[in-house]
Amino acid sequence: MLLETIKKDFVQYKAQAEQGEFLTLREQAFAEFEKLGFPTTKHEEWKYTNLKSITDKTFQSTCEIKSLVNELFNASIESKLTANFLVFVNGSLVNELSKIIEQDNNIVISSIAAARKNNQTIFNQHFGKYAKVEGEAMNALNTALLSDGAFVFVPKGKTVTHPVVIFNISDASDLNVLAQPRNLIVAEESSSVTLVETYYAVGANASFTNVVTETYAGKNAHVEHYKIQQQGGESYQNNFTQIFQEADTNINHVTLTLDGTMVRNNLHFYMNGEHCNSLLYGLYVTDNKDFVDNHTRVDHAKPNCFSDEKYKGILKDQSTAVFNGKIMVHLDAQKTNAYQRNQNILLSDDATVNTKPQLEIFADDVKCTHGATIGELDEEPMFYLRSRGIPENVARKLLLNAFADDIAEKIKIPELVELLENLIDEKL
Amino acid sequence: MAEEVDIIDQVVGQEYKYGFTTDIEMETAPKGLTEDTIRFISAKKNEPEWMLEYRLKAFKYWQGLTAPNWQNFNYPSVDYQDIIYYAAPKEKIKLDSLDQVDPELLKTFEKLGISLSEQKRLTGVAVDAVFDSVSIATTFKDQLKEKGIIFCSMSEAVHDHPDLVKKYLSSVVPYTDNFFAALNAAVFSDGSFVYIPKGVRCPMELSTYFRINAENTGQFERTLIIADEGSYVSYLEGCTAPMRDENQLHAAVVELIALENAEIKYSTVQNWYPGDKNGKGGIYNFVTKRGICMGDNSKISWTQVETGSAITWKYPSCILKGDNSVGEFFSVAVTNNMQQADTGTKMIHIGKNTKSRIVSKGISAGKSHNTYRGLVKVNKKADKARNYTQCDSMLIGDRSGAHTFPYIEINNKSAMVEHEASTSKIGEDQIFYCNQRGIGTEEAISLIVNGFCREVLNQLPMEFAVEAQKLLAVSLEGSVG
Repeated sequence: MLLETIKKDFVQYKAQAEQGEFLTLREQAFAEFEKLGFPTTKHEEWKYTNLKSITDKTFQSTCEIKSLVNELFNASIESKLTANFLVFVNGSLVNELSKIIEQDNNIVISSIAAARKNNQTIFNQHFGKYAKVEGEAMNALNTALLSDGAFVFVPKGKTVTHPVVIFNISDASDLNVLAQPRNLIVAEESSSVTLVETYYAVGANASFTNVVTETYAGKNAHVEHYKIQQQGGESYQNNFTQIFQEADTNINHVTLTLDGTMVRNNLHFYMNGEHCNSLLYGLYVTDNKDFVDNHTRVDHAKPNCFSDEKYKGILKDQSTAVFNGKIMVHLDAQKTNAYQRNQNILLSDDATVNTKPQLEIFADDVKCTHGATIGELDEEPMFYLRSRGIPENVARKLLLNAFADDIAEKIKIPELVELLENLIDEKL
Repeated sequence: MAEEVDIIDQVVGQEYKYGFTTDIEMETAPKGLTEDTIRFISAKKNEPEWMLEYRLKAFKYWQGLTAPNWQNFNYPSVDYQDIIYYAAPKEKIKLDSLDQVDPELLKTFEKLGISLSEQKRLTGVAVDAVFDSVSIATTFKDQLKEKGIIFCSMSEAVHDHPDLVKKYLSSVVPYTDNFFAALNAAVFSDGSFVYIPKGVRCPMELSTYFRINAENTGQFERTLIIADEGSYVSYLEGCTAPMRDENQLHAAVVELIALENAEIKYSTVQNWYPGDKNGKGGIYNFVTKRGICMGDNSKISWTQVETGSAITWKYPSCILKGDNSVGEFFSVAVTNNMQQADTGTKMIHIGKNTKSRIVSKGISAGKSHNTYRGLVKVNKKADKARNYTQCDSMLIGDRSGAHTFPYIEINNKSAMVEHEASTSKIGEDQIFYCNQRGIGTEEAISLIVNGFCREVLNQLPMEFAVEAQKLLAVSLEGSVG
């Protein structure tokens, strides 16, 4: 049982941890986790997502690293980019594979462990301030037992020239592994950074990744954040990302889920200033018995903000997809513009889609729309193509690719988009 | 601005039109709910043994339940032992004609604009009037009988048509369905029963008028409508209650059964007392309404205009079991002041080629909250199911809230499901446009709101549509700041 392993891990951690604020924070988080336990389907936010297949297993938090990891890294599409690399295997930094090419010394791209030593003030100022632990069992668990993760600090007015790739591998060659990476991104006023967060898995055993990412965007900052999930084998992932936006910030967040036995993404935006732009895009292509759950929440806490959300899914075989989007327009957040769409194409009779696009509005001068569609491929475009002599299977592929690439193209790294489109094409 | 505040004051000061009470001698059950209460109700109604057994079974089940708390509104927990479960105007003899009905009662319904006297045939609506717990009178009974249509109170049906009641009661909403359904099954007092025989098209609108009068009572009525093969019926219900400071509970159950090729159209204009501007008093309207399209090609259509009640909490649903069956839901929910509404529908697609359409219009003004919650479920075998959902919200004033929680669960690839929702406010330019053409602000708002709700109001039978339009105007008058 996972719960017992976790309890043991925490006792072990506590025995060797140094006293201080950080330990107190983690103890509190653990107490919260113990109080809440793993979420069950009785919990409204977990209605369609059953964690039983995870909680019934045992997972180890540490494991030796195999040469497979190097191969996987070198074969990956992300490694082809000119970028800064932070590579984590089972939540621990691998120095040999990580490389930082950023020239500006004021910009920090390092591991969380290093940041706790070298950038204490910034770390303490932001760590654990955005992803709330109260009532969020999985966040509490991560906070209590996080291993390591990426730390990116961009000071006022700076731009990180090349993307930062946060490369996560779960190596389950020997036994079931549990990794709990934790990332902290701080982009100060008028700074700009592009992040590519990717997930892979190797090995024949099961892996469970429970990750929390906190992003702080200072006034007028610009953050591009791309998440690519390709964990093969028997892999489970719970991903929580909290983005905290000050005034005039621009955030573009794209999530691509291309593989994974069970993936749960929680993406939360909180707009703490006026004139924020928040873009959330997602694509999930599922097959076999895979399960993908995207939970998003956009808090329009201040007036005059804009958010656009579009999640698309293509489902094959016996796969299941869940979408739960919530737009929360707070009291007095006037002149809010919020859009939300969820579109699904079912390619199999055994596939299931559960979608809950939600709006909660407490201000009257707002424009909010949401929509959801579920169905087969549209007949009309199909007919158009067929009538021009394009065979059915080619036409079908063309349409599906167009449907998917619409999201992939929201990524603003052309090399990556091309590689991804090939990947999606293969998957379809 | 000052002028607008004045208008708001005026309207807030406006009295609920139906807030009077009728002074009439009542017979009530003692407060509280025990097995004895149920035996009392059953005995009062002279019910057969099987009915009592059913009630007791439901009561036992209910005792094991706790009130649900997943709703999107707040209400103080209800003390179910502090409610009177049965209240009826005192009457000794069984009534043969309307002449024998207490004139005080007739006056009440006259005041509400409901004509019980059969001379007024012009209205062409057969009415079953339910006063507190019991059905007072049912009009046009004989004419309907000629066609074989049964339209009577539930208590009569239990005696006169036990086979039908036994067969269909609880078949759509079993007492195990939810907390309030169980409670209703245990204590339901009366309600309407309708049976339309094979191939008959009901020649007039059937209608029930519900009136809560007595203090501290809860109203628990049960409506059962059965449309046999190839028949058609249109049914209306209306409700009002007097103004009181304490909250009163209304937990009804409505079951519709449409057999092959049958069609049922069910319309509600709900105007229970909504409480005062501070949210004191008002009716808790917790109702379970569900219809089943049993046979192929059947159709059930719900239309509701919800303007009253302190809290409205209901989801009229359709189970589309027969192939090619159709379910529709049209709703206008208006909340003002401190009112809260959590309403919507469920469309369960089971048969092939089933279609459903949902049009929901929510309007929230004042400090009220309006929630649409709906489920569209397409089962694995429901090939070619089609659903279109549209839910629009309109906010009036910046202290109100609109919420949309649709649930869409699809298990079949040939399903086509679309959901659309939007939120808007009454545009200044729209009001300006009207003002410019000499239409006052108040009138302009009424015009815009009516336009916003048109799609739904069009579904109502004529007489009700007019009433509903007026109701909308009254509920919202002056709420624009």
